[in-house]
Amino acid sequence: MTITTERRRKEFESEALVHLDALYGLALRLSGGDEPRAEDLVQETFLKAYQAWDRFTVGTNCRAWLMTILRNTFINQFRQQQSRPAAVEFEALAERPSSTALYEADPEGRIFDRIIDDQVIRAIDELPEEFRVTVVLSDLEGLSYQEVSDLMGVPVGTVKSRLFRARKRLQEKLYEFAVEMGYLR
Amino acid sequence: MSDNRQQPGQGRSERRELTCEEALARVYEYLDGELGAGEHEAVRRHLEKCRNCYPHFDFERMFLDYVHELGAVEESKPGLEGRVRELLAAETG
Repeated sequence: MTITTERRRKEFESEALVHLDALYGLALRLSGGDEPRAEDLVQETFLKAYQAWDRFTVGTNCRAWLMTILRNTFINQFRQQQSRPAAVEFEALAERPSSTALYEADPEGRIFDRIIDDQVIRAIDELPEEFRVTVVLSDLEGLSYQEVSDLMGVPVGTVKSRLFRARKRLQEKLYEFAVEMGYLR
Repeated sequence: MSDNRQQPGQGRSERRELTCEEALARVYEYLDGELGAGEHEAVRRHLEKCRNCYPHFDFERMFLDYVHELGAVEESKPGLEGRVRELLAAETG
């Protein structure tokens, strides 16, 4: 091992490893709480980033750069799996009526100050995969419809309808939590 | 979209007011900033006047803000940092 490669590794570790928990958080959300899968994803991300470290400009947004690598790594795997149809899951969510129960019960949105994040995170994790990935990329990560469409390889209209159904499902879950916790009757 | 003229809410129909149903059908695209300029303006005008729709849009905005904040939630995994360091050391050779 030369001094240069050792210095390079130290530099990478000090710049990149501080983002480990953020990356693991994103990996867990994308993989629906699957810890071994999320861990593999994080390790693969760091390995790819390390191999490409010479192309990263120190001082620019390292976190965003790593998040992009992780996202793309996940999506490549996801799209390979998508050759198998997930029609059953799709139907299961598609057939549900869009609920306005939460809005009607709590139009001022008091629930958003009281609900426990973990419960909502579990609800996101439990969404059927195509819906979950769409919500994570769009709502958690802030990508545009077009960006999500390009990444997932589906039309913008599909992104929109998945977002609509997934958001309504999450609101239904929030409503159930709120009733269980006694915030709403 | 590059050609806004082809979107509803533009051109001849620009002056026409949206119904509540039409406005609500666009709630997410409006809040996501995904409507063309003409449609966005048509929804905005509707919201200025409509006491029924405004609270609904406000509620959906709060919901989306709440979900967005979950994107910043970090998670720690004991031992993962050590495993990544080992991986990098092995890669360095």
